[in-house]
Amino acid sequence: MAENSQHEHKTHTPTFIAVFVLLCGLTGASYWIANSNMMVESIGTARGLLIAVSAAKAFLVIMFFMHLWWEKSWKYILTLPALVLAAVLVMLLIPDIGMRTETYSSDRQLRAPAPQTNSANVKDAH
Amino acid sequence: MNAEHDFDPDHLKFQRALPIPNGKLAVWLFLSTEIMFFAALIGSYIVLRFGAPSGTWPSPHSVHLEEWLGALNTTVLICSSITVVFALEAARMDRSATAKKWMILTLVLGSTFLGVKAFEYMGKFEHGIYPSPTRSLMYDRSDSYYLSDVGERVKFDLKQLADSPDSDGTTEKVAQLELIQSGLINWTREKAGTTLDPMMKQAAIDSLAHQIHPGFGDSEKVKQYLQNEKIDLTEQKKLLETQIESDTQSLTELQTKIGNLQTQAKAEDASEEVKTQLKSDEQAAKDLTMQLTQNNKALRTINDRMNAVRQFYEVEGGHEQLNGFQLPFVLPGGNTWANTYFLLTGFHALHVLFGLFAFVVLIVRPLGKANAGVIENVALYWHFVDIVWIFLFPILYLF
Repeated sequence: MAENSQHEHKTHTPTFIAVFVLLCGLTGASYWIANSNMMVESIGTARGLLIAVSAAKAFLVIMFFMHLWWEKSWKYILTLPALVLAAVLVMLLIPDIGMRTETYSSDRQLRAPAPQTNSANVKDAH
Repeated sequence: MNAEHDFDPDHLKFQRALPIPNGKLAVWLFLSTEIMFFAALIGSYIVLRFGAPSGTWPSPHSVHLEEWLGALNTTVLICSSITVVFALEAARMDRSATAKKWMILTLVLGSTFLGVKAFEYMGKFEHGIYPSPTRSLMYDRSDSYYLSDVGERVKFDLKQLADSPDSDGTTEKVAQLELIQSGLINWTREKAGTTLDPMMKQAAIDSLAHQIHPGFGDSEKVKQYLQNEKIDLTEQKKLLETQIESDTQSLTELQTKIGNLQTQAKAEDASEEVKTQLKSDEQAAKDLTMQLTQNNKALRTINDRMNAVRQFYEVEGGHEQLNGFQLPFVLPGGNTWANTYFLLTGFHALHVLFGLFAFVVLIVRPLGKANAGVIENVALYWHFVDIVWIFLFPILYLF
């Protein structure tokens, strides 16, 4: 707080506007990807792209709106361990939850949700 | 000991652990824990989503998620991020009035986000999608619970019609509901309840679910099941009709015979033999009548079943007649979806709400240079909320 008031502030307004335009463009891009043929032809690539677009947007927000681009190296101390722990948390879920159906007994399998063949009809039916 | 001698209070220098204000450090530490919190939530969603057997996770459309609403909310949050950035910039330049305007705009945008979210939640509730399974109208699979609830729904509709008999077309509606009750619900209940074969039991309920929701289950299997059933029923119907015809004939003959015997028995010199014969014939007629009643009932049930299948399944678009009864819909994995959706968006909305509260607290203060640090802290939090939504939007609305 004190530090901010001590120095004359250098404005980054043009950068912020550029980032804002990029963010809106990237939102449009994810909407476009989701409605393109790619979702039918190669859903894996489409999903990968959607996540990449989100990661790019998050990068822009963190680096510029949250000023990390201009911050000193303390930023790594506070963010990297959290990111590593977050990744570990998710990976810990994979064997128990992600691969849950692989160890289902035949009895449990009977009580698992039955696949739906045509979701569009269900939408229309209701 | 040396340290004690070196100690010089006049040359004491304050040195921060990190080159940032304490408040900002606290916010960043808090955001680090938030990263883990949302990573666990989003991670659980992704792991549940992709760990679900193929075809058992609802598509965004089947749970009434509108992509454009998600995109709109994303844009609203991005706009609110830039406005809070401008508020901070203005505060750093000591332009309190400008900062306040940007802050008010941020508050309006944040509230718009929550408004759209509330509208979306209302839509989910209208379609019977709730976070709690006890109120949820979604059925993962066609099981006896599903069958029972569909039956209850039809019964409820019938009762409602009985309570208001004056409205137009009530008779037809009642007839249709009774056909659904007899030909679909009770028939399936009977089939599923009497068979010892678990596959046949499941096939019976599956066929009902498929008739109500043509998108559910394996349509070929159901078609085969209903075709086989039709062949069996036609056969049974023929047998029953023959049986009823011959029974009716026998009954008529028997009644004529009983009539004659009764005349004979009334005579004074009626032999014991005639009386015994009359008694046994009367008993036979009684048995035959009972058998006829039973067979007629069975024939009626079969006719109802065949009519129901014809009317609601075989006729093009026949299932649409079942839509209007608001029967619960089947959505594999629907409850898990609803739980994760409401948990993720609910926690995010709660964060938005706290952010809005912080904005209100800021707006009533002077937003000059002196308060730039506080604005920066709130802005950091707000950007984080934006980042969470940046990831929620594609995984919930577009995947």
